[in-house]
Amino acid sequence: QNATVRGKVVDQNSQPLPGVSVTVKGTQTGTLTDVGGNYTLSAAPNATLIFSYIGYDTQEISVSSRSELNVTLTEGVRSLNEVVVVGYGTQKKSVVTGAIAHVSGRDLENQQVTRFDQALQGRTSGVVVVAGSGAPNAAPIIRVRGITSINNSNPLYVIDGIISQNGGLENLNPNDIESIEVLKDASAAIYGSRSSNGVVLVTTKKGKSGAPQLSYNGYFGTQKATKQFDVVNATQYATLRNQAVTNDGGTAPFANPAQFGEGTNWQDIVLGESAAIQNHNLSIQGGTELNKYYLSFGYLNQQGIVFSDISNFKKYNFTANTSFQPKKWLNIGQTFGYTYTRNQSNFSTNNEFGGPLSSSLNLDPITPILAAQEDLNSSPYTDKPVVRDAQGRPYAISKYVGQEMSNPLAYLETQRGNYGWSHNLLGNVFVEIQPIRGLKIKSQINGKQAFWGSQSYTPLYYLTTQNNNTTNRSAFRGSNRNLTWNWENTISYNRQVGLHDFTGLIGTSAQGQNEVGLNATFNNIPVDDYRKLSFNYALPNENRIGGAYDNQPYHLTSLFGRLNYSYDEKYLFTGIIRRDGSSKFGSNYVYGTFPSAQVGWVASRENFFPKNSFVDFLKLRASYGEVGNELSLDFFQYTSVVGGGRNAVFGPGGLVIGNAPLGPENRNLRWEATKTADIGIDAVLFKNVNLTIDVYRKLTSGMLQSFRLPGYAGFDGDFFDNIGDLENKGVEVELGYNGNSGDFKYNLSGNIAYNKNEVTFLGSRPFIDGGSFQASSYPLFRTQTGQPVASFYGFQELGTFKSQAEIDAYTRNGTKIQPNAKPGDFKWADNNGNGVIDEGDRTFLGNQLPKWTYGVNLRANYKDFDFLLFGQGAWGNKLFQGYRRLDIATANYSSAALDAWTPQNSDSNYPRLSDLDPNNNFKNPSNFYLQSGAYFRIKTLQFGYTLPASILNKIDVKRARIFVSSNNLVTITKYDGFDPEIAGSVDRGIYPQARTFMVGLDFTL
Amino acid sequence: CKKSYLETTPSGQTLEANYYSTPDEIFTGVVAAYDPLVTETGGLNNTYSGPLGPLNAASDDCVAGGGGPTDMNTWQAWNNYSLTPAVGPQGEYWGRNYRGVSRCNTILSKMAPATFLNENDKKRYTAEVKFLRAYYYFWLVRLFKNIPMILQPLPPQDVYNQPQAAPEAVYKQIEDDLNAAIPDLPVTVAASENGRVTKGAGIALLGKVYLYEKKWTEAAAQLAQVNGSTPGGTTGTYGYKLQSNFGQIFSPDNKFNSESIFELNFTGSQSYSWNNWNQFKSNVYVQMVGPRGYNGPIYWGGWGFSPVTTGLATAMKPDPRYGYTVANIDSLTKATGTRYEPSYQNTGYFIQKYAPLQKYKAPTGTAELNFPNNYIEIRLADTYLMEAEALLQGGGSSARALALLSAVRERVGLAPVAATLQNVYNERRLELATEGHRWFDLVRTGQAPTVLASKGFKAGTHEILPIPLQDMQNTQLKQNPGY
Repeated sequence: QNATVRGKVVDQNSQPLPGVSVTVKGTQTGTLTDVGGNYTLSAAPNATLIFSYIGYDTQEISVSSRSELNVTLTEGVRSLNEVVVVGYGTQKKSVVTGAIAHVSGRDLENQQVTRFDQALQGRTSGVVVVAGSGAPNAAPIIRVRGITSINNSNPLYVIDGIISQNGGLENLNPNDIESIEVLKDASAAIYGSRSSNGVVLVTTKKGKSGAPQLSYNGYFGTQKATKQFDVVNATQYATLRNQAVTNDGGTAPFANPAQFGEGTNWQDIVLGESAAIQNHNLSIQGGTELNKYYLSFGYLNQQGIVFSDISNFKKYNFTANTSFQPKKWLNIGQTFGYTYTRNQSNFSTNNEFGGPLSSSLNLDPITPILAAQEDLNSSPYTDKPVVRDAQGRPYAISKYVGQEMSNPLAYLETQRGNYGWSHNLLGNVFVEIQPIRGLKIKSQINGKQAFWGSQSYTPLYYLTTQNNNTTNRSAFRGSNRNLTWNWENTISYNRQVGLHDFTGLIGTSAQGQNEVGLNATFNNIPVDDYRKLSFNYALPNENRIGGAYDNQPYHLTSLFGRLNYSYDEKYLFTGIIRRDGSSKFGSNYVYGTFPSAQVGWVASRENFFPKNSFVDFLKLRASYGEVGNELSLDFFQYTSVVGGGRNAVFGPGGLVIGNAPLGPENRNLRWEATKTADIGIDAVLFKNVNLTIDVYRKLTSGMLQSFRLPGYAGFDGDFFDNIGDLENKGVEVELGYNGNSGDFKYNLSGNIAYNKNEVTFLGSRPFIDGGSFQASSYPLFRTQTGQPVASFYGFQELGTFKSQAEIDAYTRNGTKIQPNAKPGDFKWADNNGNGVIDEGDRTFLGNQLPKWTYGVNLRANYKDFDFLLFGQGAWGNKLFQGYRRLDIATANYSSAALDAWTPQNSDSNYPRLSDLDPNNNFKNPSNFYLQSGAYFRIKTLQFGYTLPASILNKIDVKRARIFVSSNNLVTITKYDGFDPEIAGSVDRGIYPQARTFMVGLDFTL
Repeated sequence: CKKSYLETTPSGQTLEANYYSTPDEIFTGVVAAYDPLVTETGGLNNTYSGPLGPLNAASDDCVAGGGGPTDMNTWQAWNNYSLTPAVGPQGEYWGRNYRGVSRCNTILSKMAPATFLNENDKKRYTAEVKFLRAYYYFWLVRLFKNIPMILQPLPPQDVYNQPQAAPEAVYKQIEDDLNAAIPDLPVTVAASENGRVTKGAGIALLGKVYLYEKKWTEAAAQLAQVNGSTPGGTTGTYGYKLQSNFGQIFSPDNKFNSESIFELNFTGSQSYSWNNWNQFKSNVYVQMVGPRGYNGPIYWGGWGFSPVTTGLATAMKPDPRYGYTVANIDSLTKATGTRYEPSYQNTGYFIQKYAPLQKYKAPTGTAELNFPNNYIEIRLADTYLMEAEALLQGGGSSARALALLSAVRERVGLAPVAATLQNVYNERRLELATEGHRWFDLVRTGQAPTVLASKGFKAGTHEILPIPLQDMQNTQLKQNPGY
């Protein structure tokens, strides 16, 4: 005779545990606890109940005729109980069916990163983060599982529900982050049309109940470039110039190279200084079960390692997050973040056409820093506004190297006082009601209001004959604002029936944005110093030039739904569907629908699964779905729009307005769609080893890409079309181990990912070219079926001709292939076999995308001491190094040129120097410029010491820790340029990343 | 209701379907057809595309110059005839002129059904646009010979399957467009409309086209209309007359003077800066030809392009036009104790007709981007000499040929010479030096292989440019022979 048994299941902290499986031993009878941890079932008085819940130790308890049986479960494998944010909701990690990377705030708290997106580097497999530049606050490039789209592979960022497609989120204080999740597979479908590049979900700290807790962490540090590129000194320069000119049949310009000695090391001037960094964060949090608060303040002041006077960044953060529960069924809350930044990094880097880094590589070492005495009495020092140092001495202007290459110190003076600024307000408010148990109705409004702009002053200056401003002192001020908002309404319902657990979610979302900008340029400003700059000077109207713009309207509406089903935490299913409508598409394709399905099987919960084996938990999962991408699609590409700027001049100086269609109509423009499949394993072994393996395949079809129509079509710009298909497939492994022996505790984790990218279809276009190399009209990259996206493409050098005999012997059908070559010229591969070297001989030279990316993380504690080592790397990619300006024949040389081919050095494979370069040894983009991009970098190495409780108690402090830390301490690479981490894989003089040493303090009152 | 929220309209722009519905909107389309004429940044990929620099470099009037042997690489490649489909100025001409063709085709198709347009305006607009289309195609067929001929707005699906037309068919189309245009073009325009096409320009261009086709009689007949019955006098209907002062022809203070038949109108009043790339309606070539690092009087320092060859300078030295054609910066700086930096291939001689003069430097904006100088593409001395040539070639009146030739010489105080073809060719070189005619003249008269041999000109190939590499991709185009 069965009787009803009821009870409540709680954890060690007396918190109710929902979803706990309660079964009668030896039968199929069972049920789950509800959201309040309660259960009811019918069992024989002598039955035994099994309480099991993933992550907790299973308990068997005899009913012994009781009608109420309350149970406390103790936590087993903690990591399985982590809660993972999945978009519009959360899930326990153990029942997650998608490939979702989880980075907890704890993982980040000892990382001295200044941007939250940097914090993802090396943290999790399949998320590749490449620093865009070493400049303060430079945005990294983030790729989730390779390049998903040829046009835009940036993931979507969602911070507490605030979706932004146009930046501004990066100014979030990394110290405010509770967790970061990356939706890597079809689980991203809940974000529909913007999810195919992955979705990065950031959750900020919301406060914990308890007495107010004040925490501080901060550090001071010093940063410096780690490496200079090896260029020649003045004597060597003069020697090489003589060599190049005489090779062309000219007269050697330098009679006595040795007279110049070592000359000037321009890189010392640009990169030689140390730069300071400091960061301070203060937070206070607390509350009760019914209302919680979290407040924080952050301050960052980072100087750049390239001329910190004009390369520095300041950031001020304020965050206030609260939640209130006035009634048991009513929950109201908000998040708010304000950030102010001031940035002075507006000179061009990674650009061979200017900027101090490029100048430092290309300026001749003969030119001194300050103009030589004997030059001071002649032009330009006598009659031009040359730039002077603080003592009034003119900086030298090179007599050899001009164009955009200028004395970096003089350049620095022209940039003073220029800065950009931004105010970002980020926030949301929500109200959630629970009219009945399990049913939640939530409405949330999210917004980002950004204001940003810049101010600059252009003094009179004379840097070179081509780069000067000798008549007009001008000033520029611009400001812009953008409001992006989204409003989301969701209804979710959770219900258990027996061992079945259902959660359903449906929701709507609407999004819009609005942006305007204003700017003014004042010409002939009567001040000669940026510190005196004002826009109050009375100037004639023709000297006040204004500008303004409005952005194009963009609207998005969505409907979405998700069903989660679990049977006894053993059989898992998730279904997602989202339908998005976007104003970027015409009436034929306004709406796109993005479905996905995921299944999971927790094998370790099966009865037949061997007990007490080394496998504590084993879940197999699979997902499949379709996700979309419209992120970079321009507005009104589906239709033909008539626009301005097509003017003419009629009469005496009168501009007449002309308008013409900007591009062709394309009514069939449609969503880019990525079908993504993933099979994965999550396992816990030996209680302490966490293992995750994923294998995936993504097929992107109808890639949106802007491309240029043939010139004879007569349009000016680039237009979007759905042009082709792309495949990514790969494997990801993450492994973690927690160990301890006595006072020594450690955690070792690592991740590695392999990705293969291949273009599978390009429609009627055999290929798409991109990238440029100085004046060459040969592109650097080609995207072609069967190759990875944007592979390096160019000529293939087979080493130099060592002798005339080799040139004569290089024939096809008896005819010399390079009849005009001279010894020391490159032997080019005649890949198309037509007997001449022409554009048809270009070939694929390497992949700019790494095949392998990995990260390792070691944390260890011994008593009060802690240690952290974090490193990451990449392997299997090529980098293109194009530092030397080829149209400046007199530009400085890399030290490698010392080995240039000469009759005396006839074994060299470095081609003979020549300004005319008739064999295009230097002018052709070729494998000559490519190097391996593999590297391993120790990002963080840190030692900390936590003050013992005996001391802390005396000073009434909860926790205090001091640390010393270094970022980028060691980089192992064969790449000989500034830095192997190059977004875009083409090094034109990238701003290198700094090596930083820091001392810091954390404490909690 | 969702639908309307997602149907947005562009800001500051209009859907093509809703545009071209008023006379003013039609007119903006006509203006857009003029735009590539005076936009020097219309090359493929929006590169600099001033038409004179490359032509001068290709001829024996000038060399490429600039900062070094690879500065304006496209000009250097034409200067030394190392042209390849990838390297050369072809993209600059191709982009500029096809952009013009496309604008013409668009507005012609919009205008045809526009009943709201006043009949006279419609006639004039149509005539202007047909002239412009002929003009753009004339440049294309002369420079590339084998070109796609597109006469309607291209639907996207047809873009990639355009064949190259026979050059004869292109010439026929040019003639047809000009013949259709001429009757409806105005004889003169108000000063406020200077820069718009006149009937004289239409006739002169048609004459020039015939000359290139070696249709001597037709050429002479057309050119005679603009040249008038009395060479050296005033043309009856159109009022053309040679300027008495040769040095004043190209002065920005003397735009649209009586000698000017077709002139490209630039402005110096727009305060352009580098941020306005693609918008310049100023003359950038003026800045490019100035001496580098120059600090002397009169001129404004430029970038040292298009140094005048010693050959041209020597040929001109005895000529009264020398000082108005060649700026001898070398001797000027020596005389004034000032300096300039020799550019690549420096000769010390610079272009004077389009030289940057300090007095025309714009007071606002980036100085190098705001020179107001106009190009005169067809002027009366040119049409005189073209008619003389046509008469001599086609067995026309040699007396009139002599009168035309003599009028050109007499204006600068030179005595008449015999009306021979060679004398006409010589006169063209000296009269029209650095104005962009020389290379075309050498090619069409068959002198190029000899005169340009030292530069590397190869007969059978270098009479035309290669089709730009970018446009060979994914299209039906066949490369020109030899490239």
